[in-house]
Amino acid sequence: MCDQTFLVNVFGSCDKCFKQRALRPVFKKSQQLSYCSACAEIMATDGLHENETLASLKSEAENLKGKLEEERAKLHDVELHQVAERVEALGQFVMKTRRTLKGHGNKVLCMDWCKDKRRMVSSSQDGKVIVWDSFTTNKEHAVTMPCTWVMACAYAPSGCAIACGGLDNKCSVYPLTFDKNENMAAKKKSVAMHTNYLSACSFTNSDMQILTASGDGTCALWDVESGQLLQSFHGHGADVLCLDLAPSETGNTFVSGGCDKKAMVWDMRSGQCVQAFETHESDINSVRYYPSGDAFASGSDDATCRLYDLRADREVAIYSKESIIFGASSVDFSLSGRLLFAGYNDYTINVWDVLKGSRVSILFGHENRVSTLRVSPDGTAFCSGSWDHTLRVWA
Amino acid sequence: MSGKVAVGSDIGQARRAVEQLRMEAGIDRMKVSKAASDLLQFCLEQAKSDPFLVGIPAATNPFKEKKPCAIL
Repeated sequence: MCDQTFLVNVFGSCDKCFKQRALRPVFKKSQQLSYCSACAEIMATDGLHENETLASLKSEAENLKGKLEEERAKLHDVELHQVAERVEALGQFVMKTRRTLKGHGNKVLCMDWCKDKRRMVSSSQDGKVIVWDSFTTNKEHAVTMPCTWVMACAYAPSGCAIACGGLDNKCSVYPLTFDKNENMAAKKKSVAMHTNYLSACSFTNSDMQILTASGDGTCALWDVESGQLLQSFHGHGADVLCLDLAPSETGNTFVSGGCDKKAMVWDMRSGQCVQAFETHESDINSVRYYPSGDAFASGSDDATCRLYDLRADREVAIYSKESIIFGASSVDFSLSGRLLFAGYNDYTINVWDVLKGSRVSILFGHENRVSTLRVSPDGTAFCSGSWDHTLRVWA
Repeated sequence: MSGKVAVGSDIGQARRAVEQLRMEAGIDRMKVSKAASDLLQFCLEQAKSDPFLVGIPAATNPFKEKKPCAIL
């Protein structure tokens, strides 16, 4: 909650710029003057450090960036794949589509698994959000959002609700009910409000809080019950496209990736960015924590996936091939973190050996871009959603 | 709370960027060799319980088809 300050609304001629504005009292060398809000702002920032100019601050920022790179480089004594040389290579993998979920009328944009390892929710461009039973491929619930391009959806930890949003700039929560007489849309609760599209959302450890990322360049933490903004995260220079919460044992942080090519790690309590990584050459479409919480992977439009270690504070691996020229839209780890599944815009899914940096398998099946990919909570399968209107479960 | 960018104050924005970079430059880091070997260790320890690496028999994996039974 912000402290409330009360301004007495005096209207008149500003003592600095002489324009007719609403004035506020300002103290300069113990003399009271009346400045308009614009001049007061300038004075507040100018008055403190007289030697600082915009140019000197910018050059200091450049120096610090250089110093940051130097510090990181000092500890770069070996590559991950070199350390992993002694590890046994993985054998052949046989992964096939075991289920195909049809029912969406347009591009599937996002999906999430329920903690019961069986149900999942998916959302699409036509505004439909469907809850599926992946074992039987039956649709259990369906809701039509008032907007198209539902780019984000998430299952609540309890399995009793789902959250979704997109071009409506909001994140709404729908409680799931099996009562045939109840209309799901009637119980809808609008939780988050952004000033641009919602690109990603995730419940925290409980049904009570939701973390959102938006095209307005910010992330935000909301209380579901009251719809109140608990914390906001500013720092990205462009649309934020994805986010992932740290595994619960490792604390209150999350990572976000955006169109500014940066991946940023945030402290949820203070709203502060604690680490930032800028090595991708294009938009970061997806970020996912390594199961131990000490690293995270990212997939980008520059056709590479990268692994960043949080304790070494740098990128430690790149997963790329000359033959892969289309962007990676979504990434997820297998349970042990040894495999990285990545869905690409060339309709394929590549499976990477995280430690050795080599590609283990390439999966074909989708007839259009793979837009979303998540491994099931017990690691037995993973599901991919595509612009070909279907979802596929692979095992 | 929401850190609002001051309207018309590039200096405010630049000062915030400098403070953020100072903070980031000052954090504790560990050598890549140590961080990498920790990642490796975690991976190898967890490998036994990773269904994709170990493989679950078709009978217990709900997604794989069960072997057909022949009626004798």
